[in-house]
Amino acid sequence: MRPAYEDLFHLIEPLLPQVEKPSRYIDHEWGTLSKPEARFRVCLMYPDTYEVGLPNQGIAILYRILNGEEGISCERGYLPWVDMADKMREAGVPLLSLEGAAPVASFDVLGMHVPHEMAATNFLEAFDLAGIPQLSGERGEDDPIVIAGGPSVYNVEPLAPFFDAVLIGEGEEHIVEVCRELERSRDAGLTRAERLEALAQVPGTYVPGLYDVTYAADAPHGFATPRAGTRAPAVVYKRVAADFAATDPLAQSIVPYTELVHDRLSVEVLRGCARGCRFCQAGITYRPVRERSADQVVAAVVRGLARTGYDEVSLTSLSTTDHSQCERMLERLNERLADTGISVSIPSQRLDSFDPEMAEAVAGGKKGGLTFAVEAGSQRLRDVINKNVTEEDLDRAMRAAFEAGWRRVKLYFMMGLPTETDEDIVGIARLADHVIDLAQEVVPKNQRGSVSVSASVAVFVPKAHTPFQWVGQLEREEVKRRQRLLIHSVRHKSVRVHYHDADVSLLEAVLSRGGRGIAPVIQEAWRRGARFDAWTEHFNLERWREAAAACGVDLDAVACTPYEIGMRLPWEQTSPGVSPGFLEREYRRACAAETTPDCTRASCTGCGICPTLGVANKIEEVRK
Amino acid sequence: MSEENLFRLRVSYVKHGRLRYLGHLELIHTVERIVRRAQLPYAVTQGFSPHMKIAFSSALPVGTASDCEWYDVFLTRYVPAAEAFDALAAASPADLAPARAGYVERREPALEAALTRARYRVALTLAAPSARDAARAEEVLAAVVARREVRYLRGRKVKRIDLVCTFVGAKLAPGGGVWELALDTRSSAEGALRPEVLLRAWEKALALETAGAPGTPAAELVEEALADPLDVRPYGVFAHCEITRVFQKIEDKRGILVEPLPLAAHPAR
Repeated sequence: MRPAYEDLFHLIEPLLPQVEKPSRYIDHEWGTLSKPEARFRVCLMYPDTYEVGLPNQGIAILYRILNGEEGISCERGYLPWVDMADKMREAGVPLLSLEGAAPVASFDVLGMHVPHEMAATNFLEAFDLAGIPQLSGERGEDDPIVIAGGPSVYNVEPLAPFFDAVLIGEGEEHIVEVCRELERSRDAGLTRAERLEALAQVPGTYVPGLYDVTYAADAPHGFATPRAGTRAPAVVYKRVAADFAATDPLAQSIVPYTELVHDRLSVEVLRGCARGCRFCQAGITYRPVRERSADQVVAAVVRGLARTGYDEVSLTSLSTTDHSQCERMLERLNERLADTGISVSIPSQRLDSFDPEMAEAVAGGKKGGLTFAVEAGSQRLRDVINKNVTEEDLDRAMRAAFEAGWRRVKLYFMMGLPTETDEDIVGIARLADHVIDLAQEVVPKNQRGSVSVSASVAVFVPKAHTPFQWVGQLEREEVKRRQRLLIHSVRHKSVRVHYHDADVSLLEAVLSRGGRGIAPVIQEAWRRGARFDAWTEHFNLERWREAAAACGVDLDAVACTPYEIGMRLPWEQTSPGVSPGFLEREYRRACAAETTPDCTRASCTGCGICPTLGVANKIEEVRK
Repeated sequence: MSEENLFRLRVSYVKHGRLRYLGHLELIHTVERIVRRAQLPYAVTQGFSPHMKIAFSSALPVGTASDCEWYDVFLTRYVPAAEAFDALAAASPADLAPARAGYVERREPALEAALTRARYRVALTLAAPSARDAARAEEVLAAVVARREVRYLRGRKVKRIDLVCTFVGAKLAPGGGVWELALDTRSSAEGALRPEVLLRAWEKALALETAGAPGTPAAELVEEALADPLDVRPYGVFAHCEITRVFQKIEDKRGILVEPLPLAAHPAR
């Protein structure tokens, strides 16, 4: 029987004095929008702690939209931290929503955000705490319909058995259609199976239970096709908020008490990026590029600050400095916010457009560290990945930064990119050393002690629907050899080299490249205690290896064995609209180190997304 | 804007309900956001990292409620106190609602240093009401205070608090299953008495009495109970304990308690 929707805060209150950061669990924040009375209840959940999940813009957008719908109430859920989860289990308290402190299992819909691959076991932890069966096929008529959506659904096969339906793409319109359809089918008294089959008719909705997975020599991890007679689409294309500027620029309403990493107002100024970096999944999945006007952004910032009381606003997007009116927006905001102690920030800067004045303007006059994504150590390899920045860009930006008074610089690189050689690795060391040389040239002698340059090197994880989707991850032994080579190639003592944990990257690759066969491994890892895998202190590759062995899966083989071009891939049926021919062409150009321009600055490059989805880039002015 | 032209608005507010679980920093940030939402013309510090000119009364432990938290915020423009109060009330969650607002002299000492006297109301729900004698419990509490200091565990560190300076008085009002304790404390540069430190010491001595010989003199009981601050476990005397700070006042040279704001400053609502 479905548990009643009722306030059970009194069950967790006695636990609060015994756990870390009790403010994670108390709700009653400023700006909550859910309604006590509703015909249809949705709980949107972020599969991590409150302070990680609260800043999420996707949930903020959908929360606002759903609560604006007549008869629908939307609440939020987060995963209790391990101390609280254990105490709840001990006390027999089920997972509760935040606003109403009601059992998550009492809602009509549980909507899971899928932020990245490493959240896999947290979904299972949440289902278990909520008392909802982990497998879609085992859920009964009284269980909530479990839907999922977010940035990481473009190879959702490893998670497919856990979700009843997956919403592919942007949810602004889609979430409402899905909820209305589920309300209709509930009120019509349809069975769960009938409701899910009907749900698959809402464009952009992938119902994994309606697809069969076929394995073959040319489909080592299987491919999914609609079961005969189900009417499910062969390919589910992502949804797009085509008129992005018409959507509410001020999604955020809730002001948390708990201190967060990103504790500020966010206004999404632009969506999509067409720079065309070949390793980047977001660069494909968020196309087309759509800007809001400077007027709309400035008005939204002013309104948002008054509504929330924040002292910082971030102009967010994949690449904010690409906005055709970026400078004007920043000027107007800084003028407007002078003498208020309120600062404007942007998430990151590009090397090729770095401007010290702008950098200072967005940091509230502070000169903290600067971070740049260089990605690769040689021009050849940067051409391979289509990261169109040059050593001259780096030179110019670093000089300008040091002259303007910055002292700390962090450079991001990847290791294990396709066609990478030892020369490219040595190139990373050479670039970092070169930045120190520049600093010694530019920075006055008495300040040189404060100069610090760090190179942060992640292991490349190939992602679905990118030109590198066929490529395997670099084997771990080779990763370790290249890491040693890099360390030994750095000349200056003041260059610090950091690695992203190769164990984590390996699992990320498994979850990015594998098929539905990975789901039992996730379940087995959770049974063996895996949860919060995105937290270094909780991640344990050994546990995953044991789980994989128990399921007869070889993690290294899944991560590192390339797919041959022409093979069937596990993610073909959930598409961002990119044409497979484009990806293949881009892959061949990559191997030949040929670059491809940005279609918001040059002509169409033929990725296929606009014609397939009936959408187009929308830019305010000509981009520089 | 020069210091001379600033207006010092003093505000008291409550910390009730679930919001008593907010930590001090969380509370500070929340209040700053309330002031910004209220659109008060707050002053900003000059320099490297500009921020709101605002100062708070001493930190309240997580889980402790209050009827009387205070802050001073400096304004660049005079806003009638009643108007400021209404704007703050409209921008505050109910459990952090303002109670009073009014202007004070710009040069008055900072709140944290000035508000040295505090009273707490402690509601203690007894685990076994019939087994407890209030008069005897008061005797045991007096014996704890007579030891002049308590050593206690905070995290992994043993700390001590001087009761001669920090304990002013306590009065127990026994009821059926719930006792109400009024606890008066004084803070100084030396430190302040956290009510739960005294309560835990007291509870530990009471627990020992239940377990051991009932006739033991209170002083001996307390001596034995408090010998080892590392010995902490659930004592089981109080099933539930709710602490509320009910006032914070200034103690003048003659020992008279003074309100941080004249009572007349309460704006009419």
